[in-house]
Amino acid sequence: MRQMEEGEVVTPGEVLGKASELRAGKGAYVSPETNLVYASLTGRRSILSPAPDSNDQRPIVEITGHKAHSVVPEPGCTVIARVKKVMAKTASVDIMCVDAKSVREKFTGIIRQQDVRATEIDKVDMHTSFRVGDIVRASVLSLGDARAYYLSTAKNELGVVSARSAAGAIMIPISWTEMQCPLTGQIEKRKVAKVQT
Amino acid sequence: MATKASASPSTYSPSTRRRKQERPNIKDPDWVRSDGRGFHQCRPAFLRTGAVNAAAGSAYAEFGNTKVIVSVFGPRESKKAMMYSDIGRLNCNISYTTFATSIRGQGSDHKEYSSMLHKALEGAIILESFPKTTVDVFALVLESGGSDLPVVISCASLALADAGIMMYDLVAAVSVSCLGTNLIIDPVLEEESYQDGSLMITFMPSRNEVTQMTITGEWSTQKIHEAMELCLDACSKLRTIMSSCLKEAAFASNE
Repeated sequence: MRQMEEGEVVTPGEVLGKASELRAGKGAYVSPETNLVYASLTGRRSILSPAPDSNDQRPIVEITGHKAHSVVPEPGCTVIARVKKVMAKTASVDIMCVDAKSVREKFTGIIRQQDVRATEIDKVDMHTSFRVGDIVRASVLSLGDARAYYLSTAKNELGVVSARSAAGAIMIPISWTEMQCPLTGQIEKRKVAKVQT
Repeated sequence: MATKASASPSTYSPSTRRRKQERPNIKDPDWVRSDGRGFHQCRPAFLRTGAVNAAAGSAYAEFGNTKVIVSVFGPRESKKAMMYSDIGRLNCNISYTTFATSIRGQGSDHKEYSSMLHKALEGAIILESFPKTTVDVFALVLESGGSDLPVVISCASLALADAGIMMYDLVAAVSVSCLGTNLIIDPVLEEESYQDGSLMITFMPSRNEVTQMTITGEWSTQKIHEAMELCLDACSKLRTIMSSCLKEAAFASNE
């Protein structure tokens, strides 16, 4: 087999190595029939050494894309979303960014009453947690159903990051449940995210 | 009847008498193809990715007179009406421009090409990598010069690779026409109209897997074997060209 250099550009279907010597990371896959590792994306081949305490000591081969693969929300990742509709037990949001990348076209997400916060989940009032137009940081719980991803804000660093007051100014967070308008001094209730300083 | 030359030359009206399409004498051992190619020679391919900025990925292909542009959108949210699926969906559409054929609007005869493209590509894409979402592939044939569907399939697979959709391998497609006792590869429109039969194979060369095979017309078993060998060989060569096109684009974007 031709020896590949580090950082060489590969295209889908090219052989990266034997499955006995390498593990398939992101952008690569193993074919069980031939026991070879193939590339599934176009990009540069890079080899990562395995974690020292893992059972499998084979190096991991990854393809770092020259062109960013369009992002799709996956369970466990953090998303930034804008609230579209607030109802009695759910809030419907448009997912705009996944981890650090913005999506080309928005995905629909839903935050249920029991996922807004970690404590006293049955006493949550959706209208004192979110309002239409708020920008929210949430994490993806699961793929959900056909219509929306299920999101959760049940952590300190998740929740509303930016909101406008009734007067139209961007509000300043004063506690994890309240935000204040700088123009009128009015306090509005939200589930506020604790921004790391 | 044809307009006589003695009629007034100030007006022109096209001849209403259809010029009979004469099938050239293909049994003649000296018969050459109209563009001078050998029977087993494909047209030179021109391939470029990144033709459409608005799309996630795109590719343009020119094989002789057949010019095709394919744009890929996605993975994006499936329509609300669709049922939940834990693997991705592929949606293909091929359309012809009105000026693609010599007679305006004739391209709408090929409505089945969209589902053929879908069948050719779905075996090559790793659908599990984008659950619940849809990848849309839109192909536009700008000029139809023969062997349209194979060119569209190869171009679509380049566009998918350009969009960063995970695939098992690039898909290369080639078609062979049977004219009497001769087998000619990559027929042009004229040759396709005289053909006795056609065979198209879409192939993933690195994996040595055929994703689709389409046979029409009259074939003997012997001829089918021969034609398949020809196609598979041509597909492997086409794949190396497609691969080098992607690598060039990758280098260019890094500089």
